[in-house]
Amino acid sequence: MSSVPHRKTWRKSKKAVKVTRSYPTFPSLNAWEEFRGLLPVDGEPNPGVGLGVEEGLLCQMVHSAEFNLFPDSVVFESNFVQVKKGKNWIDIYKASNTMALGVTSSVPCLPLPNILLMARVKWHQGQSQTWNRPSTAPNIILKRILPLKFVELQVYDRLQRILRLRTVTEKIYYLRLHPDHPETVFHFWIRLVQILQKGLSITTKDPRILVTHCLVPKNTCSPSGDSKFVQKKLQASQPSESLMQLMAKGESEALSQIFADLHQHNQFSYKFSSRSSKKTETKKNISEKDTPREDGIPCTRDLSWRNSFTYGEWERENPSGPQPLSLLSTLAASTGLQLAPLVGNSI
Amino acid sequence: MTYAYLFKYIIIGDTGVGKSCLLLQFTDKRFQPVHDLTIGVEFGARMVNIDGKQIKLQIWDTAGQESFRSITRSYYRGAAGALLVYDITRRETFNHLTSWLEDARQHSSSNMVIMLIGNKSDLESRRDVKREEGEAFAREHGLIFMETSAKTACNVEEAFINTAKEIYRKIQQGLFDVHNEANGIKIGPQQCISTSVGSIASQRNSGDVESNSGCC
Repeated sequence: MSSVPHRKTWRKSKKAVKVTRSYPTFPSLNAWEEFRGLLPVDGEPNPGVGLGVEEGLLCQMVHSAEFNLFPDSVVFESNFVQVKKGKNWIDIYKASNTMALGVTSSVPCLPLPNILLMARVKWHQGQSQTWNRPSTAPNIILKRILPLKFVELQVYDRLQRILRLRTVTEKIYYLRLHPDHPETVFHFWIRLVQILQKGLSITTKDPRILVTHCLVPKNTCSPSGDSKFVQKKLQASQPSESLMQLMAKGESEALSQIFADLHQHNQFSYKFSSRSSKKTETKKNISEKDTPREDGIPCTRDLSWRNSFTYGEWERENPSGPQPLSLLSTLAASTGLQLAPLVGNSI
Repeated sequence: MTYAYLFKYIIIGDTGVGKSCLLLQFTDKRFQPVHDLTIGVEFGARMVNIDGKQIKLQIWDTAGQESFRSITRSYYRGAAGALLVYDITRRETFNHLTSWLEDARQHSSSNMVIMLIGNKSDLESRRDVKREEGEAFAREHGLIFMETSAKTACNVEEAFINTAKEIYRKIQQGLFDVHNEANGIKIGPQQCISTSVGSIASQRNSGDVESNSGCC
């Protein structure tokens, strides 16, 4: 089924992410060799933490007692600066305001994350903005939790390290990776975008792989595969447990209805266009159309791009649950597996 | 900022009734006229002062669209309070209350305090649901009721704060087990309980407002 050895799931572990040297490396990642040299052995610090992409502020917040969300799932995160396109890219907010963007998994046993987290971070003057554990905590406010299925992530400007985040309701954000992050981190995001689009060979997202059974038991996902365990968890008092389970259940149901509902909504006049015609849109046109406001565009017309997700082949084996994205180790380890050529500015 | 308790709220109701606008008015004191469909959850938070205690309201603003309904259900658990919102100018949003209430009852703690809100009270000329009907529905189902306007801010503070008062009253009566997170209540850091009373009451984000200000 897979050309790679067994991998851990998107489960939080105190142990460092383990990536064996047998994995091909990411050819264009200059820093990767150096990064691999930092690969941890038990008891050593996790390089993901050092890069500011694991156990960061966002992770600490959603795992805190205040939210207690997805407590067993790792969070892959980075700091971004929200920008808008003028003649050049312009920062929307003051330098002390950044956005923490992260992905995690509602159900830790899933091989891929399915949740996007967005938070606003206000830093103290002169403070390093990628510190995981700054001596003085910045003010971080969780703003949104979005199922990844309702989000399209693109690498919009590779040189400027800008991602374009577009929700199913056409909110659009242009996010520039914070300059304090090393280039390696942006390559992780590039890889994440690729995986979101194409999946990994170990998941049913990859249409080349015919899987005749569901890899993730419907609504009863547990690390041990024991449904009793899950049932017990569901009855437990942890709010996030039910959130995980119910979100998994709800997503595909929502997707199956969303387009009809959205298009029927008489307050809006969505225009339909085929996905192919969408693809022919030039980036210039996109940028003209998508002038972001404070948080992006509230509503526009074309939601047809999501239809392909609704009926995507990768969903077919698990109609009642998400097929979310990968753990950092998977991201890192798989970078050379089915590497599509890195696409210029947009994927 | 420190707090004695954290209450989780959830805002539910049909799409377009003004859930996000209510949240924005409460947290930022501003009104956003452009309808911006919510997906997933959007969060807001504010400190209020109830009976001398600093209480943090963690507010989960959910998607009202039917398409997202099944996902919205996953957010009920662990909520101490719910704002169930309808639009007084759209009868169908009132007609759907029973369905929302069923969801809320099914997926949340039985002690959850539910505030029924008839929003858009500034649009009196377009009223489609009488105030008495809202009151009757609330009485029948054991809810608190208010009419609000997110646009003019009328009764918005009251709606959030009166819900908090009712939750706090239940805590004092022992109806809420504050140590059970499933009830949507968390105790703040110990040191804050002793320091939160009094001095913070006058801060901007603290609001111990009078009930029934009557602006609507």
